[in-house]
Amino acid sequence: MKVLPSVLLSVVLAMVASIAQAQLTIEISQGMDNPTAIAIAPFAWQGNGAPPEDVAAVVDSDLARSGQFVPIARTDMLSRPTAQADVFYRDWRAIEAEYLLIGRVSKANNELRIEYDLFDVLRQTIVDSGAETGPASTARMMSHRVADAVYEKLTGVPGAFATRLLYISVTRVPGGKDYSRLTMSDSDGANPVVLLETSEPLLGPTWSPDAKSIAYVSFETGRPAIYRQELSTGRREQLTNFKGLNSAPAWSPDGKTMAMVLSKDGSPDIYLMDLATKQLKRITRHYAIDTEPTWMPDGNSLLFTSDRGGRPQIYRYDLRNGSTERLTFEGTYNARARVAQDGRNVVMVHQQDGRFHIALLDLVTNRTHVLTTTQLDESPSIAPNGSMVLYATKAGDRGILAGVSVDGGVKFRLPAREGDVREPAWSPYLSR
Amino acid sequence: MFFSVSRLLVARGLVILAAPLSFSVTAQTYVDLEAERAAAEAAGGSATVRTNAPTPTDPYGAKPAQAYPATSYGVNNAPAASGGIAPASTPATINSRNTAPAGSSSGQNLGALFSQIQRLQQEVMLLNGKVEEQTHELQRLKEQSLQRYTDLDQRLSGGASSAAKPGAGASASNLPLASAPVSGRSGKAAPEQPGETAAYRAAYGLVQGKQFEQAIPAFKQFIQSYPSSQYAANAHYWLGELYLVKQPPDLEASRQSFALLLSQYPDSPKAPDALYKLGKVQFMKGNREKAREYLDLVIVQYDGKNNTVVKLARDFIAENY
Repeated sequence: MKVLPSVLLSVVLAMVASIAQAQLTIEISQGMDNPTAIAIAPFAWQGNGAPPEDVAAVVDSDLARSGQFVPIARTDMLSRPTAQADVFYRDWRAIEAEYLLIGRVSKANNELRIEYDLFDVLRQTIVDSGAETGPASTARMMSHRVADAVYEKLTGVPGAFATRLLYISVTRVPGGKDYSRLTMSDSDGANPVVLLETSEPLLGPTWSPDAKSIAYVSFETGRPAIYRQELSTGRREQLTNFKGLNSAPAWSPDGKTMAMVLSKDGSPDIYLMDLATKQLKRITRHYAIDTEPTWMPDGNSLLFTSDRGGRPQIYRYDLRNGSTERLTFEGTYNARARVAQDGRNVVMVHQQDGRFHIALLDLVTNRTHVLTTTQLDESPSIAPNGSMVLYATKAGDRGILAGVSVDGGVKFRLPAREGDVREPAWSPYLSR
Repeated sequence: MFFSVSRLLVARGLVILAAPLSFSVTAQTYVDLEAERAAAEAAGGSATVRTNAPTPTDPYGAKPAQAYPATSYGVNNAPAASGGIAPASTPATINSRNTAPAGSSSGQNLGALFSQIQRLQQEVMLLNGKVEEQTHELQRLKEQSLQRYTDLDQRLSGGASSAAKPGAGASASNLPLASAPVSGRSGKAAPEQPGETAAYRAAYGLVQGKQFEQAIPAFKQFIQSYPSSQYAANAHYWLGELYLVKQPPDLEASRQSFALLLSQYPDSPKAPDALYKLGKVQFMKGNREKAREYLDLVIVQYDGKNNTVVKLARDFIAENY
């Protein structure tokens, strides 16, 4: 197993102390066998004062985290071109770079412009050029978009770096009540923003399909209730306040309906709430536990976990004809499914030899592959490009987040600097 | 995590059903009182329900009526629970159930009835699970036998056409495991010899009949008799496989068969599998480094061309390196 040196994000240092508690750092524990060597020269800066972001460094760490690239250290570079005319391929062949990315950052008024050129060192040609513009405050997100473009050009799969994460962090207070925070960060753990802080438990954060709102379960009233929160305004709305369980909100792909678990009528069952009218429709009706609903991307069916067969397994409920079918038959425990946008790959918690791993169920071949080697894995969440799975696991007695590629080849960890982190939710693609 | 919380909620929900009969109080009031009392007991006398709940994520942990023994469901083994986040069953919960106010004798009867219903539900669920699994298994077997039938059918018709038109039928035939018959180094299949296909099929039939010991000499004989046969590469492949399954396995002979296939028939459709198997055999022989070289080579050579074998190689690496 190849171990790459851990990558500490430089931005960590810039964080103020209170926010830094929720900061995640990234350690790559396993990369691909033959990653592509890419050199990312520092971008030129034209503007007053210091540049708002080291764009090259952000792209560098994004590509490294994918496990499919090995960025070349700046100190090894023989030259640092910023324009095509200054590129000498022999400088890059000498250090065995397969690709070279150069760029320029400029600022006029408050508008930032990042231009970049990507070269194929072996073929000695330019393969891509592009530009990102936006307010200077979004410099980091713009840098992630550059990484997305490079990733897509070189792998053929759209990048998912310019996305966000939601996660819950719990800070243990010795002798007092624990603190739960709902935090939103960039996909690399940087720029954490605490959206909600409470001394009561928080569960099940989830994204609206347009990534503009979130929903979660908070016990702040002393009982579980589902809330919806608009990210731009912070406006909150309590959607449910039923007796018993109110949990596992899941937005439909069209954003109009929310699936949820309520136990107001007895045992936990799946309900759909029309978000405009707040009308409820009961989907499952069983004395067993039906929980953890998630939508298929076409919106025509829901997957959920049920122990109606004696042990938790994944079932699919077809909204068009009301039929229910069991999907998982390997292993005695399969739970909390999440579906990739292709509607084919399902990630879930799978028990094998008494250990809980994240497994991938291919709905076409019906094969189950265990992806993780960590134990006590839970809460898988899949990237919008379907390439990576983020999940919660344990390191020692601490809860951390970890990532694995859907082919199991790339693994990384995102431990928080302190406290426990769990229930990651990867955002859909962000609209600009 | 939701799962273990939910299980407790069910338990609580069932109390809601039973309570109004045992005690002439409304369900809602009873549950709340009962919950507070139990929580108070669990928390050592504190009157506030939630503050002293044992864990942040499981405010129901201290609530009464752990009606289902958690172990019988196995949900207690959920990651959350074994990770110490949500202890589904604590001594406190069990005690609080036992020390809940005892009802009248009719209440006790109801209690017995109630637990009987629970047991029945549990049993029905387990049976339901069995039915689901057996239905699935039946479906799978049906598909499998249909698959076998079509394979056989194709092989027979493919064989007929290849016998009629030597060489031409070769590419059309679609053997299930042996895949398409293979041309030699020249890239052209040698004209078929009399009895060639029959001999191959007879040897292959032994594999299908799991008569591995007899299949080895059959394939050896086949290669000797028809060295330039379109099936020669496949025969080498099967020999490699058979040396692995015979008791005791002959790793060196297996390695030689796969290596021979690769050197003589590099363009055979069996070549990717043979390369992967070569890696596996080296691994079984204890040559980890050598094995890894072959597996890496599989990925390099066939990535994007033969995803099945690349996936196999990746999985093998992930499991063993």
